[in-house]
Amino acid sequence: MKRDYYGDVKLFSSGVTLFWFAALIIFLLLYPFLFENYYVYMANYIAINIIVVVGLNLLVGYTGQISLGHAGFFAIGAYGTIVLMTLASFPFLLALICAGLIAAGFGFLLGLPALRLEGPYLAIATLGFGLTLTTVIGRIDMLGGRQGLHAPDLVIMGHHLTTDRQFYYLAMIITVLLVIIARNITKTKVGRAFVAIRDAHIAAETMGVNLVLYKTLAFALSAFYAGVAGGLFAFVLRFIEPELFGFFLSIFFLTMAVAGGLGTVMGPIAGAILLSFLDLELRNILNIPYVGDWLRQLSTSHFSLTGVSNIQFIVFGTILILIMLFEPLGLYGLWIRMKKYWKTWPF
Amino acid sequence: MKKVLLSALLSAAFVFGIFSPGFCEVGITDTEIHIGQWSPQTGPAAAWGAVARGTDAYFKWINANGGIHGRKIVHHYFDDAYNPARTIAGVKQLQERTGIFAWVGGVGTAPGLAVKDYLMAKDVIWVGPAAGSRNWLTPPHKNLFNVYPLYLGDAQLLNEYAINELGKKKIAVVYQEDDYGEQGLEGTKFTLKKYNMEPVAAIPVALGDSDMRPHAMRLRRSDADAVLLFVTPIAASRIIGTGKAMNYNPQWMSTTTCADCPLMMDITQGLYADVITANFGMRDDSEQVGDSQHINNPKMELMQTYKTEVFDRYAARDERWGYTFSLGIALAEPLVEAIRNAGPDLTHEKVIKELENLENFKGMLGRISYGPFDPEDPLTRIGQQSIFLHQCTEDGGSVILTDWIETEYIPMGE
Amino acid sequence: MIDFIQMIISGIAVGSSYALMALAMVLIYKASEVPNFAQGEMALLPVFIAFMIIYSYGYSVFAAFFGALVFALVLGCCLEFAIVRRAKNSNVLGLIIITIGLEMILLGFVSWKFGADERVMPSFPISSYDSVMFGDFYITTIDLLTLIVALVIMISLFLFFRFSKFGVAMKATQQNETAARLMGIRTNRVKMVTWGISGTVGSVAGLLIAPVIMDPYMMWDPMLKGFAGAVVGGMTSLPGAVFGAYIVGIVEHLFGGYVSMDFKAVVAFAVIVIVLCVKPSGLFARHYVKKV
Repeated sequence: MKRDYYGDVKLFSSGVTLFWFAALIIFLLLYPFLFENYYVYMANYIAINIIVVVGLNLLVGYTGQISLGHAGFFAIGAYGTIVLMTLASFPFLLALICAGLIAAGFGFLLGLPALRLEGPYLAIATLGFGLTLTTVIGRIDMLGGRQGLHAPDLVIMGHHLTTDRQFYYLAMIITVLLVIIARNITKTKVGRAFVAIRDAHIAAETMGVNLVLYKTLAFALSAFYAGVAGGLFAFVLRFIEPELFGFFLSIFFLTMAVAGGLGTVMGPIAGAILLSFLDLELRNILNIPYVGDWLRQLSTSHFSLTGVSNIQFIVFGTILILIMLFEPLGLYGLWIRMKKYWKTWPF
Repeated sequence: MKKVLLSALLSAAFVFGIFSPGFCEVGITDTEIHIGQWSPQTGPAAAWGAVARGTDAYFKWINANGGIHGRKIVHHYFDDAYNPARTIAGVKQLQERTGIFAWVGGVGTAPGLAVKDYLMAKDVIWVGPAAGSRNWLTPPHKNLFNVYPLYLGDAQLLNEYAINELGKKKIAVVYQEDDYGEQGLEGTKFTLKKYNMEPVAAIPVALGDSDMRPHAMRLRRSDADAVLLFVTPIAASRIIGTGKAMNYNPQWMSTTTCADCPLMMDITQGLYADVITANFGMRDDSEQVGDSQHINNPKMELMQTYKTEVFDRYAARDERWGYTFSLGIALAEPLVEAIRNAGPDLTHEKVIKELENLENFKGMLGRISYGPFDPEDPLTRIGQQSIFLHQCTEDGGSVILTDWIETEYIPMGE
Repeated sequence: MIDFIQMIISGIAVGSSYALMALAMVLIYKASEVPNFAQGEMALLPVFIAFMIIYSYGYSVFAAFFGALVFALVLGCCLEFAIVRRAKNSNVLGLIIITIGLEMILLGFVSWKFGADERVMPSFPISSYDSVMFGDFYITTIDLLTLIVALVIMISLFLFFRFSKFGVAMKATQQNETAARLMGIRTNRVKMVTWGISGTVGSVAGLLIAPVIMDPYMMWDPMLKGFAGAVVGGMTSLPGAVFGAYIVGIVEHLFGGYVSMDFKAVVAFAVIVIVLCVKPSGLFARHYVKKV
């Protein structure tokens, strides 16, 4: 029950939530010891996507702006972190934050045209930003041009982080922090201004919400998240080149946010977990016993055996469509439904 | 307080990292050798997926003939869609769950570079990345054996031939905006400098761009009499076609990537005749300059064997016998040879030793040699440096234009 | 000067296929208010069906193309009927994700069935690289054909919307769906057929690209550029979409020819941002003012 404002902004609405949160933290701490290294790598990948998607959700879900250019901010973060570390010899965390801020600066710039654009017009403008940015990066020799850039060693307080398990704790701490910050932002004046802009921007303006400030702020914040995630991603791959940050990546980010459930904190996280998992794991679809053999047989008789891996696309697309058809609110909507069903059962 | 917690956590992680188990003889049992490979079976680069399928068919053939010293090869290949994040996932999963003795092939520069450090740190052999990138040799690694001749070499040979044999004065380059294209451009500039020349035009092609008319226009304006194409087969076909449409017919030249004459003749609808490309193999020693060859009816005995015994028997019905498929076989040959030479008592060190002992090994490609590892000398891991040129003919075959010519290794930053 | 005119001509040539894609996208945008990211793949599948009809069953090109267009019409209708219509409660973003899902399914299906090899539409009567010369200028015959076909389609769409009963019903549905339904128009059916027509128009573009080169990713670039053109024109105006697509084509060529080839593939998007900053709803659409 929320009785007053402080009840609303409180991080844990009840002891039960606190319990589950503590349980989650313990689980996250023990995770690398419970699972093999491959799943630790997967967790790192998922954590990075969670950061981007949570940031994107601030923009798309809360402020109601669309972005098809988030791969651009992601790229700025990745390149910014590496360049600041190698050329300006910043320590990692400082470089990461600075790169995030640079991305935020670009986000602010991209927010300016967004003041006048909406819907497909904004979509195309942001899409153009992402595409142009990778081309520009490819032309700058300092950034490795088309031949890419190698990441330096990752050193934090004298510790060299080389394995996935070591990187895991770094990524998890940053992810949890950023998620909590995002959750808190949505509960403050800023967050309410975002929602007001999303629901009726003219009404919001008449109520005294500064559209210029808050729209650009939404872009900048969201870009900061993408930038930080990009900086981490550079150290997961340890090698980056402009083509990694193409249009498909932007689409993938948006897909994760929408399929998870926009305008909620947990939704996009769920979306990021599910779709990143599918992204990495669907290649094994032909190794599933029986199903794989059946698919191969089907391919031989009706399709082509050389293209059999493309079943991944079909499965991925089908899952997307099913989620959106079944529940427009995405995974979060499904969760709410399940909860309701459970609570009111057997009625 | 937070700081203390953080550093405690990190040191815990650090300690744990030390104890992560390091293996010595991974991926070998008395009856099996596990070999891994990645390639894009989906996505825009999926045409290169045939490399892994070629290797797969080759290993099946070897197994059917009794394997190597009684051991069967278990080939694990997976689809990474040319996405490095997925390459890492697949490599880690196979390496840590199944245990892979050696990796072979592996399409693409970006995916390869994303896993290079990991594989080298794990001390696993990797033979023949399927991309002629200098990145595999800067710096050279003890476990990484290059097979595919470098794009830089293609550029040298093509330019020298255009200048010395064809007497071309104006050479233009069209290059794809990635590692492959940039190295082609660099090699061209490097070679032309020797002749006090510069490319009259250097035109970039964006990946995924489907409209090559402006590129062809620029070429015509530059009035180049020889044009080098460091692009994909599709882009090459578009540029040559558009050039023909505007009555601009220079000597087109291209790399090993576009050397598959039957395919190129098909997608250019016959315009690829007389195009000169670099070639890295599939030629017998008996074949001389001026001889003609055809990939569908190879004169080379070894290749004929592969076509009838590997391709016809083990490839999927809809597979195409072409460069990418046979490249998959060719890249795996040195590894198989080394494993065979290492004898029944197989170890990681022995195989490296046997690979280093390879001297002018002749499989489907040219002559492949390695040397005892020297961190200062990339040539101990470069494999094949010699290539030759051929010219496509009307019937989808090709005429051999040069002998095997050794190309120069150009280090980074020169 | 010769170069300049030649660049304009080539820009118009490439603009024609962009224009067809732009038309297709605008049709769907007007009907369902979603930028259809599956547009390229809705053209891709019919193209490969045509390929299969020629290659495996040996029919003539004309029969195959006719079959492909009919298939495209049916495909468009089916997608709307079976999937898009079911997502009634979705917002725009949800619909976008659904079109992305459709795109993946269609693309996956084509790649699964036909593999990733590069190929060319067989036995097309016009050679892809023959050209017609007007003095110093050239245009390839297939580009000329595309241009003519695009013009014919534009005119017939115009006539269709102006004079046919069904076309007027479509226009009514797009302008005010509720009112149209009250007037006795079966708006659902109208939408379904709009998707079908859109798919057919897009497939024409695909079928005219296929004689040059075919692979599963061939429609991405034209689709994005067509989308860009449609946005320049205003996303709700058919003539605007065509005009915008030609602008995109011409700007690309002029920029590639005179300024820098590096940015040729993305310059269109920079132009769009500038155009949109001046006219936020594109050049041709009436600016939509939200009533409070």
